[in-house]
Amino acid sequence: MTPASTIHLSEEALDDVLIGLGSAESHAHLGACAECRSRVATIRGDIALFNAASMAWSESRRPQARVTESHAKRLPAAFLGWAAATFAVVVMAFSIWHVREENPANQANTRAVQQAQPGDSEAQIAQDNQLLEAVNAAISTDEASPVDEYRILESPSAHSKAHSKTRMK
Amino acid sequence: MISELEDIDELVRLHQARIRRFVTCSTGDPDLAETITQDTLLRAFRGRESFRGDCSLSTWLTGIAINVTRDHLRSGRYKFWKQLKATAVDVQEMASYLPSQAVSPERRMLAKERIKELYAVLEGLSYNQRTIFLMKFSEEMSVDEISEILGMAVNTVRTHLHRALKAVRNKLGAKI
Repeated sequence: MTPASTIHLSEEALDDVLIGLGSAESHAHLGACAECRSRVATIRGDIALFNAASMAWSESRRPQARVTESHAKRLPAAFLGWAAATFAVVVMAFSIWHVREENPANQANTRAVQQAQPGDSEAQIAQDNQLLEAVNAAISTDEASPVDEYRILESPSAHSKAHSKTRMK
Repeated sequence: MISELEDIDELVRLHQARIRRFVTCSTGDPDLAETITQDTLLRAFRGRESFRGDCSLSTWLTGIAINVTRDHLRSGRYKFWKQLKATAVDVQEMASYLPSQAVSPERRMLAKERIKELYAVLEGLSYNQRTIFLMKFSEEMSVDEISEILGMAVNTVRTHLHRALKAVRNKLGAKI
């Protein structure tokens, strides 16, 4: 066998040692060769550093939501609780609405409000139409509209027609 | 049955950090790792009757974590969220967790650099190579155990390890 100091372990043999599949020859060489021992120690040291740091990092992490068996069992109970609370709120809202509807005083008030909104009288409609025509006249004069400066093609009469139709009966 | 498996709190206390570390380094996604770790522990607890004791509890849990990870990586849901929100390990932060030892600041800084370089090598490996490397060197599993858990021939496991170590050597090159 060649002296350990001149021939070192091949990369494959070195890797096999690291993997735990090193041959007896490789281990014998390591016993005699400080350089190869150092190479193995260096890579093991790097891996050990990585393992230590990554483990410490992992231990420092706090899970966002720790799920345990007991927690998993509690989930349906929590859901049922929320469902019951929602149902109670809905029942209460319905009850309040129902009581208000059945109350004669409330019904009378409702009817009074409905009766207080009669259809518009002829006079009122005529007054509104008069007002709208005045507005139409104001906006359909021959004066140039400020909008015309921007050369918008739509004519003001289109607007006036729309307005005039609003209250016509 | 092992008493740790009878108490979920004890199971979490003893194994959560190790599984989280493994899955985080394997997937490179700390958020996903959190979900997978919780799923793994819950699945282990629910299936504790199936633990036969023919390997260590750690090895058994790692095997479950690998299966859960595969399920997540295959799911379309994960792919969608991965595109939407990619999270990555902050290796600078991880390296800063180097346990404090009585070493000089210079040596500590060098150690951090080595950790970052090694993590960069792991990131560049294929998923299989990285997982096998972690199973061997972080989880300290034997080649036979890795072979059995992954359903992979011993020689294939060995080849993956050789490639991973070669990548490590190329990156850390002159120093090894």
